[in-house]
Amino acid sequence: MATPQIVLPGEYIPAGQIPTSQKRRIGHGLRPDPDTGSFMATIGGLLDVDWRKKSAQISTPNARYIPKPGDLVIAQFRASSTDYFHLFINAHSPQAILPQLAFEGATKKTRPQLKANDLVYAKVVSAQKNMDIELSCVNPSTGKAEPDGLGPLTGGMVFDVSPGLANRLLKKQNVLAMDDLGARLQGGFEIAVGRNGKVWVDCPEAGVKGICAVGWCLRQMDETDLGEKEQKKLVNKIMAEIERG
Amino acid sequence: MPREIDISNIERNFILEALGQDVRVDGRRLDQLRDLNLEFGVEYGTVTLRLGKTRVHVQVSAEVTKPLEERKFEGVFSIVTELSPIASPAYEVGRQTEQELILSRTLEKAIRRSNAIDTESLCIIAGAKCWSIRADVHVLDSDGGLIDASCIAIVAALRHFRRPDVSVDGENVTIYTMAERVPVPLSMMHNPVCITFSFYHGGETILLDATRSEEQVREAEMVLTVNDWELCQVAKLGGSAIDALVLLKCTTTALAKGKEINGFVARKLAEDATRRDVGGLIAELRAENDR
Repeated sequence: MATPQIVLPGEYIPAGQIPTSQKRRIGHGLRPDPDTGSFMATIGGLLDVDWRKKSAQISTPNARYIPKPGDLVIAQFRASSTDYFHLFINAHSPQAILPQLAFEGATKKTRPQLKANDLVYAKVVSAQKNMDIELSCVNPSTGKAEPDGLGPLTGGMVFDVSPGLANRLLKKQNVLAMDDLGARLQGGFEIAVGRNGKVWVDCPEAGVKGICAVGWCLRQMDETDLGEKEQKKLVNKIMAEIERG
Repeated sequence: MPREIDISNIERNFILEALGQDVRVDGRRLDQLRDLNLEFGVEYGTVTLRLGKTRVHVQVSAEVTKPLEERKFEGVFSIVTELSPIASPAYEVGRQTEQELILSRTLEKAIRRSNAIDTESLCIIAGAKCWSIRADVHVLDSDGGLIDASCIAIVAALRHFRRPDVSVDGENVTIYTMAERVPVPLSMMHNPVCITFSFYHGGETILLDATRSEEQVREAEMVLTVNDWELCQVAKLGGSAIDALVLLKCTTTALAKGKEINGFVARKLAEDATRRDVGGLIAELRAENDR
């Protein structure tokens, strides 16, 4: 993996570094200059160019999460009104609303009963400036919670990670350690990743120690930039630790 | 508007369940502190302390003022704490929360009112001129253990600080710049260390140096302030009751941890001193002699 290029706001990026195809996709933090064809960075971060997908953007893996439609998040229940649950996504975002009937198979009588500070795995439906964020726990086309397994979370533990790692976990980029750990931990574990930097983990068979081990693995992956070999080593270390008790 | 979010039920239940089995979420032992790290700035009295993810910056400064009317022979020492939104979205500018009040009062009691600084040595001319020492505490990142971290940082900053040398000739006071005379350290009577104990499951589980989420689910807390040889303060503000024997046990733990921390700070200060002592000239330049 080549070292990523760090750009600062106002920095010019020559046209040669950005895909030129008609169908290219230019994302977050890049502003085109129509005269020269080059680009200017509007935020600081890492220049992230994918030549195969013809996309370019500036990624900010440690920046605060901003909700976008289609993102999976783990939100915390705050209060309920007649038709809606009101939730928090993080400390800075506007409040989020979740229709009480937007759960799999929910009717007026069977809708879930949430208590204060319960967690819900949901999808962002709309997020616009100066408006409440709307969430949903069903796939609108099928009316089911699949394929993401949306709904209230019970048991297990939630770990805070950086939004960058959450993104990597969802895209399965450079997170071999998770698969490896899942295969070797007794009974495996269940995981739900929220783009807002929250990861819910449950492993009923390995118990508290197993969950803590996954949390420790997540923290190591977040704090240090680990390659494939290092991740394998990390999992070996964790498994040795668990066996020792 | 940013606001504090309470800990979720899942986290609360899990932390309590794990503590019931003597397991901490971050893998520490129950009486283990997080990694402690001290960095000294270029100027004297500038310290940044890290305790796990908690980060505290302390700046000590000195100026010449008039002593208080009722304490003519003493200098002034004050601690200023501020929790700004940089540390956590829960803190607001300008509104003092209960936590901030408890933090500043506990530090005040632990350091100022336990006479950690010999304020009489700060007097220049009785009733007319004295030094005013001020310690500004900035919390940069808050992940629990604020009282412990701030206390260690303040004491380290005070031990690191040097005030300009002065000479008195009748009514005239001359303050020498750092270049003219080697600045003098503050005279410290003792080095207090705050140790916070958190109690769970009716006092059965006792934790040292709780993180923010562990703090949010605890039943009671107790702050013990110790120096190298004795206990200076016991602060237990509400929460569930604690057995007397447990208190005694905590005291012995606190004394041991206090010694460990003071040893660490002394080592870091010595490292910084050797770094500054280029060519071994500081000893020769000193104005005072060893009597």
